Parts: sequence; C-alpha cells; structure tokens
Amino acid sequence: MESQSSHLADQGIEPGAMPSTPMLDEETPFATMMASFDEAAARLGLRSEVYQVLRKSDREIAISLPTTLDDGTFHVFDGYRLQHNQGLGPFLGPLRIAADLRIDELRALAAWMTWKCAILGIPFGGSAGGIRVDPAKITTGDLERIVRRYAASLTGDVGPERDVFTPDLYADERVMAWIMDTISTHERCTASSSVTGKPLAMAGSLGSPDAVAQGLDIVLRLACGHYGMHRQGLRINIQGAGTVGGNLARILHADGQIITGISDVSTALFDENGLDIPAILAWREEHGHLAGFPGSHQVLDGKAFITAPCDVLVPCAVANAVHSGNAVQIQAKMIVEGAHGPVSLRADRILDQRGIPVVPDILANGGGVILSYFEWVQNRTGLAWFDGMVNQRLVQKMRDAWSAVIKAQEEHNVSLRHAAHIVAVQRVAEADQARGIFA
Amino acid sequence: MSSGHALADDAAMQEECNPFLSMARGFNTAADHLGLDEGIREVLQTPDRELKVSLPIRMDDGSVKTFIGYRVQHNTLRGPCKGGIRFAPDVNLDEVRALSAWMTWKCSVVNLPFGGGKGGVICDPRTMSQGELERLTRAYTIAIMDILGPDRDVPAPDMNTNEQTMAWIMDTYSMHARRTTTAIVTGKPLSIGGSQGRREATGRGVMISANQALKIVGLRPEDSRVVVQGSGNVGGIGALLMHQEGYRITSMSDMYGAIHNDRGIDVPAVMLHLRKNGRLDGFGGAERIDPKEQLELDCEVLVPAATENQITSRNADRIKARLIVEGANGPTTAIASKMLEDRGVVIVPDILANAGGVTVSYFEWVQDRMGYFWTEEIVNSRLEQIMVQSFSEVHETSKQYQVGLRTAAYIRAIDRVATVYRMRGLMG
Repeated sequence: MESQSSHLADQGIEPGAMPSTPMLDEETPFATMMASFDEAAARLGLRSEVYQVLRKSDREIAISLPTTLDDGTFHVFDGYRLQHNQGLGPFLGPLRIAADLRIDELRALAAWMTWKCAILGIPFGGSAGGIRVDPAKITTGDLERIVRRYAASLTGDVGPERDVFTPDLYADERVMAWIMDTISTHERCTASSSVTGKPLAMAGSLGSPDAVAQGLDIVLRLACGHYGMHRQGLRINIQGAGTVGGNLARILHADGQIITGISDVSTALFDENGLDIPAILAWREEHGHLAGFPGSHQVLDGKAFITAPCDVLVPCAVANAVHSGNAVQIQAKMIVEGAHGPVSLRADRILDQRGIPVVPDILANGGGVILSYFEWVQNRTGLAWFDGMVNQRLVQKMRDAWSAVIKAQEEHNVSLRHAAHIVAVQRVAEADQARGIFA
Repeated sequence: MSSGHALADDAAMQEECNPFLSMARGFNTAADHLGLDEGIREVLQTPDRELKVSLPIRMDDGSVKTFIGYRVQHNTLRGPCKGGIRFAPDVNLDEVRALSAWMTWKCSVVNLPFGGGKGGVICDPRTMSQGELERLTRAYTIAIMDILGPDRDVPAPDMNTNEQTMAWIMDTYSMHARRTTTAIVTGKPLSIGGSQGRREATGRGVMISANQALKIVGLRPEDSRVVVQGSGNVGGIGALLMHQEGYRITSMSDMYGAIHNDRGIDVPAVMLHLRKNGRLDGFGGAERIDPKEQLELDCEVLVPAATENQITSRNADRIKARLIVEGANGPTTAIASKMLEDRGVVIVPDILANAGGVTVSYFEWVQDRMGYFWTEEIVNSRLEQIMVQSFSEVHETSKQYQVGLRTAAYIRAIDRVATVYRMRGLMG
C-alpha cells in the first residue's frame, strides 16, 4: 500500500489531489461555455424544455483502468467519456490524455463539440473523453495498455454509430489506431470509422494533416469577400508556427499572400514587406523553433507581436492571446481565430465596439472536424476520395457554414460569434424537438 | 326491374373499382406475356411475412386503449422491404397486403434495390393528441422492430403519417439499437438525415414522366393544355413544375371544387393562394367549374393526382386527353384503361409515373448509409436519370410486347423480380 502511493507521487500524481467530481458552482468551464449560449437561446425564444435538455450531458461515463505498469507497479487510472447531445447523430469528440484532467472541462468540451458540429452542418453530436495520466511519465507500452483497457471498457457506448474518437494533443494517430484495433477486435468487425485522424495506410483521409489550416484559408477568403477586403496584398500576422499556424502560413504564402509576421513560443518575426515563409518553416523544421532565423526582419516579443500592424491577425497558438489588456491596441482590421478561444470574452466586446470583426474559432477552425467527418464517411462507404474531392467538399462545407452564420448575423444584428451560437442552438434544438423524448 | 339492373350495375362497378383486383389482373396479364408458370406466380403473389401486433396505449384521459397494427413484407428478393406506414380507421390486413405487393412492383419498375412492404395502424389520428400519436408510433416501432432494419425493412410516410412520425420511428429504433440509425426510415426531417428534394419528388417524377410521354404523342409542352386533378403534394407541385417547363395548365382542383381557364392558369399564384387560404375557392384568375366535368375538359394532357377510380367505364368515353399521367395510385380502372388505350390514348401508369417519391426515399436511404448528403441539384438530376431510364425501358417493352404502358410496366417489374428469384433459388 505504501509503495503504491509513493509510486503515485513519483508519477507526479498526488492521491489526495485527484479531482473525481467537479465543483458545481457557476464558475466551472462548462457554465462559462454555456453562458455564451444563453443569449442565443434567449434570442431564439427557445422552449424551456429544450434548453434544459441542452444544459446537461446525455451521458457521463466514468471508468476505472487497472493497469500493471512496465516498472511492475499497479495503478487504477481514471477514464471518462462525456456525451453531450445526440440529436443530430452519433457523438464525435476528442480524447484527452492529461495528468490534470478535469471532468468539467470535458463536459464543456463535449458541449462545445455539439455546437461546432451543428454549425458546420455535419451529422454528429458532441462528446469528449479523457484519461487522467501524465503521458510523459509512463512508457509507450503502459500507455497502450491503458488506452486499450479504456476502449474495451467503453465498448457498447462507442463505435461508428455511437461515439467516434478524434485525436488530441497526446492522443495522436497511434492512440487512435489502438482504439480502432481494440473496438474492432471486441466487435468482431473492422470498425475503421470508430476513430478519425488515422494514417492513410489504415483508411485515413487525404487532406487530414493540414485540414484546420485549409479551413482557415477558406474562411479567410469568405471573410475578405464579405467585408470587402482585397485579398491581393493583404498583410497577415500569424501567431503560431505549428500544425495550424505553420501550415496556414505555407498555404497563404504559396497563394501569393504577404505574411508580415509569424511567431512561436521562442520568438516572433515581423517584416512589413513580407517574410520568406518557406525558409522560415525549413529553419523551424531543422531547429525545432523560430529563434535564430537569420534575416533583415524585426524580432518582436510575444506581447508586441499581437498588436503589430497588419490587415488580418490569425492567432493559432494559445487561449486568451487577445485580452482586455491589449484589445484596444490591436491594429488588425480583422481577426480569424485559429486556436481554441484566442480572444477572451471581454476582448471580444472591445473589438466589437471598435468595429473589428472576429471570425470565431467554432466556425474558423472547423476544418479538422469536417475532415474527421469526411474520414468517417469514406470509411462507411469503403471508398477513398481523391485529393481534389476532399478539398472541393471542404470548401463547400465551410461555405455553407459561413453563409448560415452570416444569415443569422444579418437577421439578429449580432457579432459573428453570437450568430454562430444562434445557428448551433437552433439546429440542435430542431433535431431534438423532432426526435422527442424517448422512453 | 330497373333497380335490380342498377344494383347489378353497381356490383359490376364495385368490382371494376377494386384496386386489388385491378392489380391482380395487371399481374396476371403481365405474367401471361412472360409465360410464368403457376409455381412462380404463387411465390411472387404471396407475402413473405405478415406481422400483426397489439399496441396498448395510455390515452391522455388516463384510459388504456389497445390498437392493432400490421406490417406486411411482400417480397425481399431484390432487397430490403420499402413501403409506407398509414394511420387510418379503415386499415385492414387485405389492404396492407395489396399495397405491399404494389410497392414490390413499383420499386422494381424503377429498378431500386428494394422489395415491397407496407404497414398500418387502425386508429383515427384526427381524434388523437400529439402525445397519443407519439406513444402509438413508438409502441408500434418497438413491436415491429425485430423485422425492421436498414437491411431488412425501411418504412416511409403514408396516409396520416409525416416527417414527425418518421422522426419518432428513427429515434425509437436508434435508442433501442444503441446506435444512431438514420437509414431505418425515410421521409425524415432534414436535420436528422432527410434528403433534399423529397417533398417535391413525386410531383417532379410526374413532370419528368409527362415530358417523356409527350414525345411519344408527338407534342411539345408549349402546345399542351394540362388538366390536373388535385393540388396537393403531387398535383400542386406537379402542376407547378410542369408550368415551369412551359406546359399550359388549364385546370386544377381540390376536395372542394375545380377551377378552369383555357388560356392557362398562373400556377405560382394558385399555390400562393392555396398556402394562404387552404383551398382553391376564391382564386381570381380562373372560373369555377363542376369538378365532375373537370376530367372531361378539352385538353392534351390529363394528370389525375387525387384519388383512385376517377376514370372508369362510365366516363372513359368522354375523356378528351391524348395523354394521361397517373399521379395518384389507381386513378384509372383496368376496364377504362383498355377503352382509352384502344382509342390510342397513352397512359403512363401509376407505378411508373408516381415512382419519384420512392426513388428519392431510396436516395435518402443511400445518403444515410454513407452519412454524406447530396445537394438538391444532385438529387434532382439523379431522379431525372432514373425516371427517364425507367420510362424508356417501359416504352421499349411496350413496343416489344405490343401492349400498353401499364402492362409493359408490370412486365418489366415482374420480370426483374422473377429473374432474381431464379438466380437466388429457394432456401432450404
């Protein structure tokens, strides 16, 4: 007993500090997230019954994952899957592997996925799952056994027409493959469409790796058209140089756009005449960071970078990059949210008052979720789409979502973010009402 | 003496108007042409499975009432069963059985990978609350669930059932099966796996059939005056689409009366008037006429899109149209059909002309199976492709066998099912 708890301490897990039930006051992430939908619901005059349903998860599953680690010790890890609303179809959502996993964050994320799928017009409800373990402190074999036990324990609640897993930070394509393999083995069939983000070799989809960036590029085009900004000669600052920011910079640069700024955790590069993006990305590929990239550009710190001059700012890195402290100094004429929640709620209001449109994350970074959906469809039919088809259909989906949000914006005279929420709540409520209350 | 004669006359008319006898006659005529033996005729006319269920429902006033429901699966040789569910006081097993066979032939004429099925619940929906209807629908779904499934039997709306009913069926099935199963039923709302273009599908199919048949008659839409009996989902939308194609719609009707204008009716205006007032009455751009005379108006095309047995041996001689496109099920009796075809009138039979509805139901099932949804343009163009192809096959068959389009349609339909029967053989 003693050896076990001391080992837990080695793992960086303090037994007493394990949060098993969330705090249920109004400051929880879920409550905060839902607050932004209250206005949409009120504006739509949503029936109270429907709204009460939307305020809770359909199902919250907590499971224990007993595992013998490679070092010989035995642990029971906590696993969760929270399924928010299945009105529009099976659940779809990420798997989070983190030491500080909180149920309420998953609850918020699951609901957020419901709204996101609804806005993007794809037939899923939202879910989110997690395993509370520090992936840096266990072996690959440990992680595999934990993940497989997790998937096996959820058989019956997950699968292609029940709940589909999407990748997340530590739940990469390898983890997705383990889940798919476990579900397939238990169900005695090839359940490719039970997870997305798979490598091409195991029924993944073309266009997957840079889907979020592709989606951002499409939204940027639509937004420029809508706000009468000429794409030609547009100066763009991108915060983040990884999968999202880096790919977006590459796509925009190849398309002849001027990237005046790009940053990562190490530094921020800025040049009002435009940066040599291919060279910068090659440098980052080689060195792992932007710092030290040679050239005549300016080097800014992260704070100055956010408020540096440009036409469009695309924050693709962290939450609350634009906050009430710097929103007044923002020089961009438009912000497109590449990351999850890069503009804080208060900053959002300030920017709205300043007349700077913010294309909200829930719409702008939807390319990844749409590609997950496309992968699921291809797995169901067994037919892989060609690259051109994937992109053409991605454009169509983003365009439809954009049009719906703009229509709601004009109808209700609200910000893009509020309009997106209105579209989401309306679509989910419509499906829930049609299906009725099952008994 | 005279009354006895009238009674005999009525009895003859009753037999003429029995749609199931009509269908049996159509089947046998076609089977004769195909030279089918007795054994295979029996196989093709006997339903695969008939299920009767009792459905105890708690009514709003606290009482418990037991309803009776049926599901008949006529034939699964060509695929899972497809067919509507109707809620009506006069539902009976004979009727459900006949309608299920009808669906087998209809699906086969347009070459959809389905057999025929039909279901019904004896109830009077007009006297029931939404809550009672929901409980009844869910109880019925659970009761027949073991024989339902995307690969077994896929229901659809019919008399007194609608999108809402289909949503309840989808929800009930999905919750019991523990998986979202949109392909269990068609005619759903768009938000839970419905298809674009479904509401207009039957009317669109009627319009496409008319276009094809017009070529046989040697007319152009601009030269064709069209009398449409009906103004609902089939007649109204059919008239609207034909109007857009350049036809001159000269008469329309609803259950309260008929309107006529030989120079042509402004159909979009009629539809607007209907939406506002719920009836044709009071529409300014045409004169009111006796609905009994409507079918006998001077015209090139007649579209009976209301109910069965509108054209019988009693009025067939007075029909002036050169082309009849059957929007409704069984609007022309077999005797009237023969009289008209002897005079050279072309009749596009119901199982072909109004198959647009089941075709888009099929599209909905396909889209649900893959989880990917088509645009309205794609739905419409694929519908047109299927209708044009099917029409041309039936027309070829009519030339080959020297028969009218109705018999030709049955020949096509039965031959397809019979061919599969020979391939698959008998189980056990």
